Amino acid sequence: MDLLHNPEFLSRAQFGFIALFHILWPPLTIGLALILFGLEAAWVKTGKVVYYHQARFWTKIFLINFGVGVISGLPMEFSFGTNWGPFSIASGDFFGNILGFETAMAFMLEAGFLGIMLFGWKRVSAGMHLFATGMVAFGSTLSAFWIMVANSWMQTPSGVEMQNGKLAITSYFDAIFNPDLAHGFGHMFMACLEISLVVTAGVSAYYLLNNRHRDFFLPAFKWSVLSLVLVAPLQILIGDSAGAALAQTQPAKLAAIESLWHTNKPGEGAPWAILAAPNPAAQKNDWEITVPDVTSLIVTHSLNGTVQGLTDFKPADQPPVLIPFYGFRVMVAAGGFIAFMALTTLWLLWRRRERMQPASVGQNKWLLRGWMLAIPAAYIAIEAGWLVREVGRQPWIVYGMMRTAQGVSKISVAVLQWSLLSFVVFYSAIGIAALVFMRGVLRKGPVFEDPPHQPARHADIVTQPVVVGGGH
Amino acid sequence: MDVIALDSTHHLLATIWFLIIGLFMVIYVVLDGFDLGVGVLSLFVGDEPRRAAMMSSLGSIWDANETWLVVIGGTLFGAFPLVYGTVLHGLYIPVIVMLLGFMLRGVSFEFHELSTNKPIWSFTFGLGSLIAALAQGFTLGGLLNGVQVVNGVYAGGTMDWLSPFSVFVAIGVVAGYAMLGSTYLIMKSRGMMQDACFARGQWLALTMMVAAAVVTVWTPLQFPAIFARWLSVPNVYYFALLPLAALFSLVMLLRALKNRSEVAPFVWTTLIFLFSFAGLAATWFPYIIPGYITIDQAAASNNTLVFMLVGIGMLIPVMITYNIYQYVVFRGKVDPDNTHTY
Repeated sequence: MDLLHNPEFLSRAQFGFIALFHILWPPLTIGLALILFGLEAAWVKTGKVVYYHQARFWTKIFLINFGVGVISGLPMEFSFGTNWGPFSIASGDFFGNILGFETAMAFMLEAGFLGIMLFGWKRVSAGMHLFATGMVAFGSTLSAFWIMVANSWMQTPSGVEMQNGKLAITSYFDAIFNPDLAHGFGHMFMACLEISLVVTAGVSAYYLLNNRHRDFFLPAFKWSVLSLVLVAPLQILIGDSAGAALAQTQPAKLAAIESLWHTNKPGEGAPWAILAAPNPAAQKNDWEITVPDVTSLIVTHSLNGTVQGLTDFKPADQPPVLIPFYGFRVMVAAGGFIAFMALTTLWLLWRRRERMQPASVGQNKWLLRGWMLAIPAAYIAIEAGWLVREVGRQPWIVYGMMRTAQGVSKISVAVLQWSLLSFVVFYSAIGIAALVFMRGVLRKGPVFEDPPHQPARHADIVTQPVVVGGGH
Repeated sequence: MDVIALDSTHHLLATIWFLIIGLFMVIYVVLDGFDLGVGVLSLFVGDEPRRAAMMSSLGSIWDANETWLVVIGGTLFGAFPLVYGTVLHGLYIPVIVMLLGFMLRGVSFEFHELSTNKPIWSFTFGLGSLIAALAQGFTLGGLLNGVQVVNGVYAGGTMDWLSPFSVFVAIGVVAGYAMLGSTYLIMKSRGMMQDACFARGQWLALTMMVAAAVVTVWTPLQFPAIFARWLSVPNVYYFALLPLAALFSLVMLLRALKNRSEVAPFVWTTLIFLFSFAGLAATWFPYIIPGYITIDQAAASNNTLVFMLVGIGMLIPVMITYNIYQYVVFRGKVDPDNTHTY
């Protein structure tokens, strides 16, 4: 195949593969870190050991994901230099600066307290441990913020101008708070919360379905679902407003998402295609199933608002259509399914209370299976969302300012084939290994050990001497 | 006049960032150096409990140590984008191999903890460490060899990083890391494990020093400009101080090993690294890509350098403080019978 001898395609495939693999892991750890902080804070505040056990159990899931997330992200940073040298040189003033912030402010903070969070239970006080967990949660969220600043800027570059082949900064404020940042970061952060809550709900459902540790997992199931009742619909709202903003900032991407070739005439609405076979060569859909006016309604919130079609752009400036079009539909369907599950479960919790007790909850087989299914759905949504976002940005590496073809390093095809193959083989192996170990953690289930010490603020009401397990 | 003022500001800012990234590199090389070194040494240990204890001595800190490399990557990208975009391209193969090595050892830590088949994961941990350390040596060797840059674009070949010279640099880096690893384990262990480290330290120190001496002699022979720079009066007196200080540290290191001091060997090894690093930096300054690009040519705009200085510069003491705190929390010896779990 010709593509496998095309250096630009190989570098894109390599970065795309690394990114799609990497994004499977950190969203869960970002969301779980906040959940763990909440559980640990509840333990410190109330002294109830159940919160401690919850925190320890979910930490195991956190840990596997954190390890794979950190190591799979390492090559992403270096990829900009190895494969995208001209882009790095041109955009270093801003893009490199932001990655520098991310590593020094956020990533280091997270790494600096991670050891204490994971291994420090017997070495520091409960309050100090809570602080370390908080710093890991704060660091990972801040990290996501800076990464999204950099990524949003590639989507809607502002505050810079092209001078002698370099993107020189005219305003840091405009470049950081670029038009896409609020939507981009908001949507990503919500995805982190949502995926984490779906995993806690789905894993709890797995135990409830198997009648294991029902008293432990029913509360976890409940707080996960109740949080999702807020988070899942909110995510849909943010996604909707992001779509409306896209019409202003990246109209070609929006047109690709809807496979809309022609701008609607004044007074008519743009139709919405449920399914379509886009044909870029002919600049039309070979066939489509459409609903009238709905694209106008979604994008402009009016039945005949103008939505730009792809033919407004030269074919050389049009993104590929197939992946954004179907990727978007898959993401929406998966997100809708999660919101549906949350609202249905809320209804059951309210109207069928007697069936949602520890003794009886396992009988809701379809509901619990649905929640287990929500886990892959959440991951599919996040992958599809990234494909839409990044493929839709093409053929630009910095939207409207620098083409992807201008940003790529000239590396020999043989070397690129070798490195792409290495990453595919290596990531597949660690992905499978991580899943096997995850299954091991789930089979083993929670361990109900006593905390190493009581939370500090309750130390004075403990009457029996605290057993210290002798440092090691 | 204006142009000169602007240039001197730019030079000052570029120099500050050169020093900051140099500081990060020293921190990184010492911390991840002992970390990788312990991994390399674990390949030569026969029994699993001892390998597990060696891994456990790093469990709580390896991630933070390695993060300094990520910080170097990020700050280099921001402050010297030209270096980032050309050197990593020129050294593509050793850099990718290094990343694969890091990833292999990174997952090994975790999977070792969770798996029932521990020997496999302690082996991949050692192998990944060795691969990463060797690849780092070749990266450094390749950089010193010369990364050919013409008009801001890498203009060399795919295999430029590989040469007899870079082989020596790679051997020196691996031996140096193993030395750091040994002296770290002397602090963190007792009994038989510690005895082995004392015994091994002698010849590791000599290997490291021979490799460093070869590199030091070879560099001026390879680059006439450096030959002239080093051996002109009065430069020769200043430059001679660094190898003399390194040699003195080596003597003190060997003595400390013989006296079975626990902390001193690590300190002296660190000093050897410090003097070698200062020697490299002083030899090439103001070049940042030896022979091709100076720090002024590679540095980002003044705006960016200032913005980064405000954002990152002030954080440096904070970063160092919480990293030290982490070491304080996990101070003390590793007990092979009671490795910590989460």
